[in-house]
Amino acid sequence: MGDMANEIKLLSGNSHPVLARLVADRLGVEIAKTLSLNYSNQETSVTIGESVRDEDVFILQSTAPGDINDGLMELLIMIHACRTASARRITAVIPNFPYARQDKKDKSRAPISAKLIANMLQTAGCNHVITMDLHASQIQGFFNVPVDNLYAEPSVLRWIRENRGTEDVVIVSPDAGGAKRATAIADRLDRGFALIHKERPRPNVVGRMVLVGDVVDKVAILVDDMADTCGTLAKAAQTVRDNGAREVIAIVTHGILSGDAINILNESCLSSIVVTNTVPLGDKVDRCNKLRVIDVSPTLAEAIRRTHNGESVSFLFNHAPA
Amino acid sequence: MVRNIVILGGNSHPILTENICNILGLPVSNRTLSKFSVGETRCEIKDSVRGKDVFIIQSGGGSVNDHLMELCIMISACKMGSAKRVTAVLPLFPYSRQPDLPYNKAGAPLSKPPLEVPKDKYTFESVPATPAPGIDKTPSFNKDTDLSRVMSRTSLVNGNGHGLVNGTSRSNGESSTTNDLPLNPAPAPRPGLTTLHTQSFTTHDLQNPALVSTFQAKPGYKRWVAQAGTLVADLLTCAGADHVVALDLHDPQYQGFFDIPMDNLYGRPLLQRYIQQNIPDFKDAVIVSPDAGGAKRATAIADSLGMEFALIHKERRPTRITDRQNATMMLVGNVANRVCILIDDLVDTANTITRAAKLLRKERATVVYALITHGVFSGDAIQRINLSAIDRIVVTNSVPQDHHRKVCSKLDVLDVSSIFAEAIRRIHHGESISVLFQYD
Repeated sequence: MGDMANEIKLLSGNSHPVLARLVADRLGVEIAKTLSLNYSNQETSVTIGESVRDEDVFILQSTAPGDINDGLMELLIMIHACRTASARRITAVIPNFPYARQDKKDKSRAPISAKLIANMLQTAGCNHVITMDLHASQIQGFFNVPVDNLYAEPSVLRWIRENRGTEDVVIVSPDAGGAKRATAIADRLDRGFALIHKERPRPNVVGRMVLVGDVVDKVAILVDDMADTCGTLAKAAQTVRDNGAREVIAIVTHGILSGDAINILNESCLSSIVVTNTVPLGDKVDRCNKLRVIDVSPTLAEAIRRTHNGESVSFLFNHAPA
Repeated sequence: MVRNIVILGGNSHPILTENICNILGLPVSNRTLSKFSVGETRCEIKDSVRGKDVFIIQSGGGSVNDHLMELCIMISACKMGSAKRVTAVLPLFPYSRQPDLPYNKAGAPLSKPPLEVPKDKYTFESVPATPAPGIDKTPSFNKDTDLSRVMSRTSLVNGNGHGLVNGTSRSNGESSTTNDLPLNPAPAPRPGLTTLHTQSFTTHDLQNPALVSTFQAKPGYKRWVAQAGTLVADLLTCAGADHVVALDLHDPQYQGFFDIPMDNLYGRPLLQRYIQQNIPDFKDAVIVSPDAGGAKRATAIADSLGMEFALIHKERRPTRITDRQNATMMLVGNVANRVCILIDDLVDTANTITRAAKLLRKERATVVYALITHGVFSGDAIQRINLSAIDRIVVTNSVPQDHHRKVCSKLDVLDVSSIFAEAIRRIHHGESISVLFQYD
C-alpha cells in the first residue's frame, strides 16, 4: 500500500482526448476516471471517480478552437477538485497555452489576459505548469510556480531531416517576432535564413510584406509558433514564392487553424503545412491534404515522467524522445 | 448626481445594463468585447477608468463560461487601467447551484449507482489506490440489467435532487432529458445504450453521450462532483474584484467563500409586491415551497404578508424499488380549493417546479402561481412549463427573458434594474444597503 502512493495520476480534460491517450500509453498509465460534461444550463460539471489523495496529479488540457473558455473552466474546476481532494502536487499540462497572444498592454486599458490566466491557474491550485512553445517565453514570468516551457524544435528538426533532407533548404521567419525561433532551427541545420517584415493594421488582418534574404531556387521552410487563421502564413508563402523559392513548406507548432484556415491553406502556394498535435485537429487532416502532423506526445510524456521522478527536463530542449 | 463612476456591461445582459444606466442617469461606458476566431475573448475598455469607481454588470445565464471569462478579463483590464475600485455585479451568480449528484447535501446517496461492487469483494484496507495486478477493473452493467429502466430511475431521482441535472455532453451540445415526466412523451431510447460498455471510463468516451450515465468510480471510491463555488469566488478575487453584488444567492453561505465584501440583494420585495398587486384575494392564498431547502425563503414571504404556508417534501426513504420516485413527493399543509403560490429562487430545467405544481393540482388547488427570482429555463424547460399545471410563472429579468417571453404565454417578468441601480448608487456613495430590505 505505502509504495502505491504518489504515483502519476493523469487526468484528461475534454479538449484533446487523443493526445491524452497517446501520453497515457507512452507512460504506461491509465487515464484517471473523471467525467466532465456541460449541464443544460451550460455550467461545467466535473465528476471525480477515483482517489487522488497524496498522488502526483497531471491534468492534460489543450485548447480546442472555439471552445477556449469552456476548456479553461473545465481545467480550473479539475485543478480545484484535485486540490480539495488532497492531491500532493497538481501539474497542469497545457500544450497550447490559451490567451498567450494577449501578453502585453499594447493599448490603453487592454487586458493582459495571459497574466490573468496564469493567476487563475494558481488560484485554482496549480503547483506546476508544463507547456510547449509559449508565444512569448516571458509568460513564464507571469507565474509564481515553476513553468516548463518545452520546445517542439527537436521534433521539428527530426521531421525535416527525415522527410525533407536539408539540401537546398532555407529557413524563413514569417515575422520579426519569430526570428529567434527560426534562426535557432537554421543554425541547427546549418542552413540559410530569411525574414519577412510585415505590417499588421489590425489583429487577424495582414498588411504588406517585404522579404529580407535570399530564397531563389531554394526550398523555403516557413517556421512559426502558431497558425491561426493562416492569413499571414498564406501571404508569407506567396511572398517567398514571388521572390523565387522553388517550393514553400510551413512548419508551425500549434495548428489552431480556426475560421477559414483550411480553405486558405488549400488555395495557398504552400506545398505542405506541418503542425504538431498540441491542438486537436479533428477532421482537418481529411479536409486538407497538405497537412502533416508531428506527434509530440513522447516529449510531453517524457516531461511528465521526469517531473514526477525529479529528473532534469532540460534534456528535452535539445532532444526529442524517439 | 453620481460622478466618477463607470458602468460597464458584459455581453450576457445588455438590456439590464442599459436599464440600470438609465435609472442612474449615466451612459454605458464604451468597451469592445468580442471573440477572436480561435475563441479567445477579446476585450478593450475604450473610456478612461483611472481613479474611477467601476461597476461591471454581467449575469450568469447563457454561455456561462464565456461570460465568466469576459467578466474576469474586464475586471482585470480595469484594474490594470488604474481603476480605484472594481465592483462585479452578478444578477445571477454563476455556478451558485451545482448539483451534488449523486449525493445529497447530507452526504447520503440519493440513489445507489447502478450495480455497486458487492461489499464482500473489498474492504477499505485491501483496495489499492492505483491499478494493480489482480485487482478487478470497475464492473460494468451486466447483460441482464434492463439499462433503460435503471437509467430512467436514476435520472428521476436526480431530477428530484434539484431539477438541475439535465446533463448534456459537450460533444453533442444539444440538450436532452431522460426524465419521462408524464406530461412529456416518453423519450426515445438513446442510440448506443443497448451496447454494453466494458472498458474503464474516461472523459474522452464522452463522444458517446449514452456512456455518460454508465460512468462509474473505481471500486471502493465514492464518485463525487466537484463544487466550483469557492473556485468562482477565488477567480473573481484574483481577477481583481474589490466588491461583489449578487441577487438571491442560492446558498447564503456563498458569501463566506469571498474574502472581499459581498452584498447579497433580495428579490423578495419585488415578489411580495407582485403578490399584493396582481393576485386577487392574496390573503386567502397559500405560499408553497417546492422543497425543504427553500422553506425559509417561502416562509419569510408568507410571514410578512400574513399568509398561510405549505411545503412539499421529497420522501427519500427507500420505498419499493419499483416505485416511481415522484410518487414520493408529499404535501405538508392544506391547499384544497385555494390559490397556491410556489416560491423558489431559481428555475433551471423546471423539473422540480412543474412536478410540484402537478402535485398541488392533484391536491385540488384552484390556481397555481410560481414566483421565482432567476428564470434560467435551460433545455426544454419552457416547453415543460407550457404543458404543466402552472397557470402563471413570474420571474425577474436577472437573466435575459425576451426570448422566453415570446415562447411562453404564462410568463410575467419583473424588472430588477431598479434594485441594482439603487444598490450601485448606495455602494458608490457609501450608504447602507441593508435599509433597502427592511420591509418588515
